[in-house]
Amino acid sequence: MKKNHILKNPYVQFILFGLVLATLPIMAQTFPFIKSGYIITIGGTLIYAIAALGLNLLLGYSGLISLGTAGFMGLAAYISAYLTVDLGWPFLASMAVAVIIPTIIGILVGLVSLKIEGMYLAIATLAVSEVIRKTFEEFDFFTNGFSGKAAKFPSFFNISLDRATTYYLIVIVMVLVMILMYNMVNGQLGRALNAMRGSEAASQAMGVNLLKYRLIAFAFATAFAALSGVLYVHFVRYSYPSIWSLKLSLDFLAMIVIGGLRSIYGTVLGAFIIFAVPDLFLKQIPYFNQLSYMFNGILIILVIMFYPNGIVYLRYDIKKWWKKIFDRKGKVNHDAG
Amino acid sequence: MMLDNEILKIDGLSIAFGGLKAVDNLSFSIKENEIFGLIGPNGAGKTTVFNCITQFYKPNAGSLLFRDRKGEVQELTKHKVHDIIKLGLVRTFQNVELIRELSLIDNVLVGGHIDFKSTVFEQALKLPRAVKEEKALRIEAEDILRRLGIYERKDMIAFGQPYGILKKVEFARTLMSHPKLIILDEPAAGLNDVETLQLAQMIRQIRDEFQCSILLVEHDMRLVMDVCDRICAINFGQFLALGSAKEIQRNPAVQQAYLGNSEDEQHEKDSTVH
Ligand SMILES: Nc1ncnc2c1ncn2[C@@H]1O[C@H](COP(=O)(O)OP(=O)(O)O)[C@@H](O)[C@H]1O
Ligand SMILES: [Mg+2]
Repeated sequence: MKKNHILKNPYVQFILFGLVLATLPIMAQTFPFIKSGYIITIGGTLIYAIAALGLNLLLGYSGLISLGTAGFMGLAAYISAYLTVDLGWPFLASMAVAVIIPTIIGILVGLVSLKIEGMYLAIATLAVSEVIRKTFEEFDFFTNGFSGKAAKFPSFFNISLDRATTYYLIVIVMVLVMILMYNMVNGQLGRALNAMRGSEAASQAMGVNLLKYRLIAFAFATAFAALSGVLYVHFVRYSYPSIWSLKLSLDFLAMIVIGGLRSIYGTVLGAFIIFAVPDLFLKQIPYFNQLSYMFNGILIILVIMFYPNGIVYLRYDIKKWWKKIFDRKGKVNHDAG
Repeated sequence: MMLDNEILKIDGLSIAFGGLKAVDNLSFSIKENEIFGLIGPNGAGKTTVFNCITQFYKPNAGSLLFRDRKGEVQELTKHKVHDIIKLGLVRTFQNVELIRELSLIDNVLVGGHIDFKSTVFEQALKLPRAVKEEKALRIEAEDILRRLGIYERKDMIAFGQPYGILKKVEFARTLMSHPKLIILDEPAAGLNDVETLQLAQMIRQIRDEFQCSILLVEHDMRLVMDVCDRICAINFGQFLALGSAKEIQRNPAVQQAYLGNSEDEQHEKDSTVH
């Protein structure tokens, strides 16, 4: 009874989830069918999940759209690579700067969001993102242009991480972000953002300062995207301008729409569906790479048709089906007895 | 300026949209602990008065004085929309504006927004102050839901709840802010006779238990006549009459205004402002 209670605690669940993910490098060593390349795919997926969580705070809770996630993520990646490699900064210091700078730009975009909404906001954020991406191509000294910028695994407190330990770091950061997100959306902030999405007039009447909460939403969304960019560049250890394109921003959108708006696990699930599944399983299918756009498109249409709140809600149906089957069985037994 | 027992004093309020004078030199005042009705046929300008009081619209002329929580007189037009509730003035909406995806109690907790002192970081990290505040407000919200008789439903999602319940939730949400004056925009709209009676009871209960004034905007006479201490009637944005329910009912100008509009009333579907 007591044990059951502990497992229902959301924080315990987040940590367990992290622990399960953390077993991957060990499993890769133990079981030959789990290739060590999987670590890169899953690690990358978790990194993307962090940025997607930020976007979910923005779109899912606040109802504000952004097509700029990729640009902010890339900016943070380049800043951190530049500071650590070219200037020899320590990892933690460069991470801090690489998160703060995009966040400030994100807050400025938030200021604009008071004036423009919906499709226009989408276009404005896309424009900001594309301008940022253009700088990746043009400012060679900073980004090394089209040749791509290399970076190293993180190191701090005299510890230098390798691939597996960086993977653990990613898992830890993601679980922390999930917990922060959980706390934020289930308290006053979450209610204010929800109220703002539901009705601006009603939220204002309840004392919600629209400007303040829009800025908060944009600040956290860009901070999460930037954090994700830093982890990316120090895990994958390179960055090219072409990575941070509109396609990636759209992928983030697809992740939260498919996985589940306003759902933390749904977001992570969405990241797995959009990144890990194609990488691990579908790539073997001939021509899949050329058709991956279609895969996302078809998936989004199917999800919106059948699970408008995201695939994560499939679990309620599974529960229902399970109960039905179970109940019928119980009934049969009862009749027999 | 303002008499000691007055909570809201509207003086010479005017606002026009294009050429249309939606509210025209309107004056009246509401006393403490009073249930005050503002009536008028559809399109008379009631919701507009409302939006001027709550600063969704900035009036062209006139003053709106309000005695705040601390007893100080405030000119409402000098405050921002989201600061009005802090003075002790809170509103409901003509079409209940709740968050469909949230539980009833979470919706009520939105009304406690201004009472939160802890920062977003304290909330994200669940620091003691944030936890304490959330807990205290949750207890208060539960208490209000209990008093309004919908405690058992507190964890249900707002979406799909009966209209009468949603109205109560919206009421509960206003009470979370410890208001001095609650203003209700057509609370009886969409309710049947039984529900309207219950609403009248609830309005009185709230005035007595929570010690506040209530301004009721209605176009439907049933509720106002039953529950209001005093009523102000307007038409075409202008003052028609002020008095008790009986006096208003007997007033020829009011009768005229309502008869003249009786057809519109049948198929009225109010234009919302937001
Ligand atoms: N935002 C607005 N823009 C233009 N006209 C408006 C606006 N709000 C209200 N009006 C007009 O003002 C008049 C009064 O409307 P309203 O206050 O909604 O009436 P009531 O609530 O008494 O039915 C109506 O003629 C309405 O069309
Ligand atoms: Mg109206």
